[in-house]
Parts: sequence; structure tokens; C-alpha cells
Amino acid sequence: MAARIKPPRMRIPRKIKKDDVFKVKVRFEHPSFTGLGQVEPETTPTFNRAVPVNFIRNMLVYYGEELVTRFNMTSAIADDPMFTFKLKAVREEPITVAFINNEGERWEVSADIKFTT
Amino acid sequence: MMSYDDVSKTLVGHIRRVFWILPLFVLAMSATGGNALAALIVEKFEIEGLISPASPKALSEALEKQLQVKVVDLNLKNSSSGWPLLSVEFDSDQLTRGVIEQTIALIEDPAGHTYRVHQGPAVISAPFTDEEKAAMAALGPAPPNVQALTNPIESTGASIARGKKHYDKYCTTCHGLQGDGNGPAAHGITTFPRQLWVWKNTNSSADGYLFWFITEGRSDMPPWGVILSENQRWDVINYIKTLTKPE
Repeated sequence: MAARIKPPRMRIPRKIKKDDVFKVKVRFEHPSFTGLGQVEPETTPTFNRAVPVNFIRNMLVYYGEELVTRFNMTSAIADDPMFTFKLKAVREEPITVAFINNEGERWEVSADIKFTT
Repeated sequence: MMSYDDVSKTLVGHIRRVFWILPLFVLAMSATGGNALAALIVEKFEIEGLISPASPKALSEALEKQLQVKVVDLNLKNSSSGWPLLSVEFDSDQLTRGVIEQTIALIEDPAGHTYRVHQGPAVISAPFTDEEKAAMAALGPAPPNVQALTNPIESTGASIARGKKHYDKYCTTCHGLQGDGNGPAAHGITTFPRQLWVWKNTNSSADGYLFWFITEGRSDMPPWGVILSENQRWDVINYIKTLTKPE
């Protein structure tokens, strides 16, 4: 159960014009465990705790200083999830995406938005 | 000089004594695992990492082989903490708990997984950070605009029985059979499920709030208004009001 967590990565289009609606893609390599496992399926067909619970709990998206959206997640989230959402480019400010897992640890990734003419 | 008879009588006496003592000695040896003088104690270890069907057997066998200890029991199902509980009998003069924990950490199961002794309480979900709280305040669910409703279904035995049926089917997974918020799926959820025994014998002023909450859901709780009919939801509310605080 090696925790293989890598810093999140974000991809936005190279060319963004003012008032464009563009896609933001964020990938975060983080494991996802409910902690439950079926240890002896033949004799004890129940799920009990086998490994520590570990999953991404929250994703917060900031456009400049403003909090624009919040994703709430449970242990049903996939391993290494990829998030895609749309934003409207209204001002030249960085987008910051913050992840917080169930243990309260925090990761962050950021990208600048600059308008092309 | 002793006669032949005297010698034989003495011998028979010795043999008889030996026959008396021998079973007692064997009994003592077997009861203490072969070492009547050692201070044998049984300690319990909570084990993390028992994830494959071969894991429990591999762990017990490897531990017995490496440390010459006796694995008394491996409780996979009914331990109070939820972690599998390994009971090990060992000689406290020769081994310590720390040595056994280190040995368990070094053992691998056939698939290459490692084990670990669980330390401390089960950290399920850390409290919300200030940033998360601020985000919830800014973008979280809107404050409820709850109508004052009255329960159209009287809290009779039949209604409570119907409510229990729906509760057992839909609610226990998270809220638990006794409404203590400790169902099997509860620990994987972002927010701890509500303890429902707090609503025991509350009056009709709580009805509107409960009905709104069950209908709309919030956070990880799904909107049950999609699945349960209005009357079924009222039956569930009647049942929730009978749940008592577990001991």
C-alpha cells in the first residue's frame, strides 16, 4: 500500500480570448481506498477494515482570489482521477485548483490565463 | 540385606509414584505449551493489510515459524474496533510486544503485500480545514427554508413497522441499525452520518425539518424523495422517533 501521490497537473488551452468558455483539465495521482476488504470470502463473507481509509475529499477551484466551484467527493472516487470543467475567461488571473484529502493534507496546482489577441 | 520381595515392593512403589506424577506433569506441560516455568502472556494486535484470502494463514504461519510463538486466534469479523484482531501467546521473558510488531511488519504474504500493526485510534476523516469550511460557507447548501408540516400518519404500531422495514433497507448502511451513525458504509463518507436517536420522542415541530431533510438529502445523503413515497417517508420518521440511544 505504498502511497504513490504525485503533485496534481493542470492543462488549459494555449490560446484563450476574452469571454471564451474553455475547458480546464486537472489530473491528480492519488490512491483511493475505502479501507474495506474481503479477507476470507469462504468463511467470513463480510467486509472489514483491511487498510487505512484514504481518498480525495475536496477540490476547490479559485479564479484569482474568487472561489468559483467546489467538488465534494467520497471514497467512491477513482484512483488518479481526472477532472474536467468549463470556465469563462473574464479576466487575466491565475486559476488555482486545491485538493484536500480525508487526512486534511492539501495540494495545489496553478496556471496563468493570458488573453491572446 | 533386602530380600527379593522387599526390592520388588520398593520398585513397585516407585513406579506407582511415577505413574501418579507423570500424568500431572504431562497435563502441566500441555497446558502451558511445553514450558511450565515461563511467564506466558496473551496480547492482542490490530492488523492492517489483510487484504487477500491467503493473508491470514500466511501471517499466522510465518509468525509462529519465525518467533516460536502461538497464534491463539485471528478474529476477522467481530472485533470492536473493526480491525482484524490477532491474539498471540508468547513468553514475556524472551519477547516483547515491540519485537512481535517489528516481525509482523517484515512478513510478506504470497502476493507480496505487507502487514502492519495498527496504532492508535482509527483516523477516518480529519476535521474540516479552515479553507474547506470557508468554501462550504461560500458555496455550500443553501440554508433550509423549512415549512412547518404535520405528520398526516399517526404513529401506530403498523406505521412504525412499515417505517422499520424501509429504514432497514435504505438507511442502515450509513446510519446503522440503532441509528448511531455507525453503519458499515459510514467510515468512507466525507461527513459523519447523523445520530438519529436524538429525535426520540420529539414533538411535531421537528416533522417539517425531518421530512425536508429526508426528501432533499444533503452532502453525502441522497434525496430519498426520489425513491420513497410521501407516506413511506412519514413512516420512516415515525420509526426514527422510536430509536433509543445505544448503550
